[in-house]
Amino acid sequence: MANETILVVEDEAQIRKFLRISLEAHHYTVHETRLGAEGLALCATAQPHLVILDLGLPDLDGQQFISRLREWSNVPIIVLSVRADETQKVAALDAGANDYVTKPFGISELMARIRVVLRDTRQSTATQSLFESQGLQVDLSQREVSVDGNPIHLTKKEYELLRLLIAQPGQVLTHRQILGEVWGPAQQEETHYLRVLVGQLRNKLGDDPANPRFVITVQGVGYRLAIPLALDDQSQP
Amino acid sequence: MPTQIDAEQADQLFTAKPLAYAGAMVIVLISVSLAFLLHRLMPHANLSLLFLTGVLIISARTGLGPSLVASVLSFLAFNFFFTPPYYTFEVADDGDVATLIFFLLMAAITGNLAARMHQEMIKRRLSLQRISKLYEFSRHMSSAASTDDVLDTLVDHFTHSLNCPVAVYLPDNNGVPVLRTGTNLPVPLTATDIKQAWSVIASEPLMQDQWQLLPLITDQEPVGMLVMNSEQMDSEQLNLSRSLCQQAAIALHRTQLAEDLEQVRLVSETEQLRSALLSSVSHDLRTPLASIIGSTTSLLEYGESFSSKNRTELLETVVEEARRLDRHIQNLLDMTRLGQGKLNLRRDWVDLHDIISSAVERMRDRLKEWPLNITIGSDVPLLWVHGVLIEQALVNLLDNAVRFSPADGEITLTARYMDNQVEILLCDEGPGIPPEEREKIFDMFYTARQGDRGNLQGTGLGLAIVRGMIMAHGGRVTAQGRLNHHGTCMQILLPAGPSENSEA
Repeated sequence: MANETILVVEDEAQIRKFLRISLEAHHYTVHETRLGAEGLALCATAQPHLVILDLGLPDLDGQQFISRLREWSNVPIIVLSVRADETQKVAALDAGANDYVTKPFGISELMARIRVVLRDTRQSTATQSLFESQGLQVDLSQREVSVDGNPIHLTKKEYELLRLLIAQPGQVLTHRQILGEVWGPAQQEETHYLRVLVGQLRNKLGDDPANPRFVITVQGVGYRLAIPLALDDQSQP
Repeated sequence: MPTQIDAEQADQLFTAKPLAYAGAMVIVLISVSLAFLLHRLMPHANLSLLFLTGVLIISARTGLGPSLVASVLSFLAFNFFFTPPYYTFEVADDGDVATLIFFLLMAAITGNLAARMHQEMIKRRLSLQRISKLYEFSRHMSSAASTDDVLDTLVDHFTHSLNCPVAVYLPDNNGVPVLRTGTNLPVPLTATDIKQAWSVIASEPLMQDQWQLLPLITDQEPVGMLVMNSEQMDSEQLNLSRSLCQQAAIALHRTQLAEDLEQVRLVSETEQLRSALLSSVSHDLRTPLASIIGSTTSLLEYGESFSSKNRTELLETVVEEARRLDRHIQNLLDMTRLGQGKLNLRRDWVDLHDIISSAVERMRDRLKEWPLNITIGSDVPLLWVHGVLIEQALVNLLDNAVRFSPADGEITLTARYMDNQVEILLCDEGPGIPPEEREKIFDMFYTARQGDRGNLQGTGLGLAIVRGMIMAHGGRVTAQGRLNHHGTCMQILLPAGPSENSEA
């Protein structure tokens, strides 16, 4: 499977080193650089399948990097940041990053995120009409939802929300992103609409908010659809 | 205190009469003597002019009373000595009678006029002085930099210009009026009286016996309260006091606002420093931790599939990063000790070679990618220092040089003896430091303030520690540019041998 190309933009040599060793052991081809400008150039020349980006670069702000890259490329980006600050992550995600990992992190967490993001891009290229995960079944062509075989009736907005989460399973969607998609750009600050809607959706899916099976809250950032992260795919050596 | 003296002079003119009356008599005596000398040369009627002159002099210099006395005396003396029949108060000639009566009238009128003019002049001079005093007062008020300045000026003006000592109360943080100045004034008011007065002072000035309480009030709220003894004050002085209080209130309001602003600025600066410290500590402790956790989890999870070369590299990373963490923690500890002034210098005679070699040894791993050139002059004497601290300073400088050096950038360390000082010069071939930043880099958290974007990732403590340690030894450390070269030279100057100002 693998042989996909990953670009690591990170100014700490030691972090680049273990990322390269681990990624190469998983048969990814790795390009690395410590500078944002160089990273942008490499995105164009090396055509990576994924970018791992540190937010604290010597020459460019991580946010700037993302928005510049997004002007011409949809390559998925996973952000690394030592900043525990939620607003930084949200800003990176809103700017177009696909996911983030907070430093310090264990290598398996990053690997799982990489697999999710890569699998997602592979899937989205082949249009898929049926989604299935942990007993949740969504037929996107018929707009039919069922949990453990029992059909569920969702309102238009509830279905819209679920569809968004399914579109990028395992990846965080920020409040702004969801609000903008479901309610429109004018309502991007009305987080309470979203909280109510998520409550309703969980209720209908039979999801326990304290220990959710499907819709996971990422505090201060947004929501993601739970998928079994530990599930290894074929890239495991 | 010129005003006070003039006031006394004025008092003498109007009240201390005996001297003025004696003066009037002396002038009349002089007029008589002169008239005796002159009466053969001129008609006696004209001698009256001589007496008139005397009366004018008296009235111009004194008041109405003495000038009237002088005119009557002159009249009698003229009559007695110089109108026939001589040496009697009788008058032979009718013409002389007329002369005498006119003389008396003129003396009275001119005396009166001159005395009045004199009084006017004194009043003018007094009010001029009062105005200039007031002007000076308001100038002081508007330039007063602090609350204490305002109060000093106010009390000073009341004491010296109005001759009325005052006490001033200002509210403390809880709004309770507290005596701030004028403590020597025996105000017979209890704290309760003062508090009660304070609660109503904004709407009405208060009187208690001869004690007048005036508010220092701006258009918003009272900022203070003034207590004075108004026993000897006329209404004009009371009005003046009120306007003084008003000016003082405006000035107080201004200085208090300025002091509040200063306070806010201080608080926000401390806050900034604190958050800079926190973010720098969290960044610099977490970055090596991220490498350690990342490398070890990589080894644990996938170690089997790594080549042995890669496994060694990852383990080396762990060791290097653990050492880096240790340096950060050492720096934080050093900074705390420097900040608390708890740095005890244990001086001893130390060979600079030893210090340099142990610093380089500690940095061996970090330095291995960069050629390091060390030259130590043969005439460098033993140093009278706390060796470990100088070594730490060198380690921090070396760490800094490595961080800035490009690949293969040469680092040179030279030491030499000059002008009774030992100079240690550490030069790198990094990007260099702009001249305007060469002092700032020694500030605590300077790099931290640049945020993550600075090339110079570090606690922002390293150079501050270097400076602290070198200065504790009575030395200096500066950053310098390089001639015909890019890069930076860090210069340490240490006094050779014990000197009187080298003890920290």
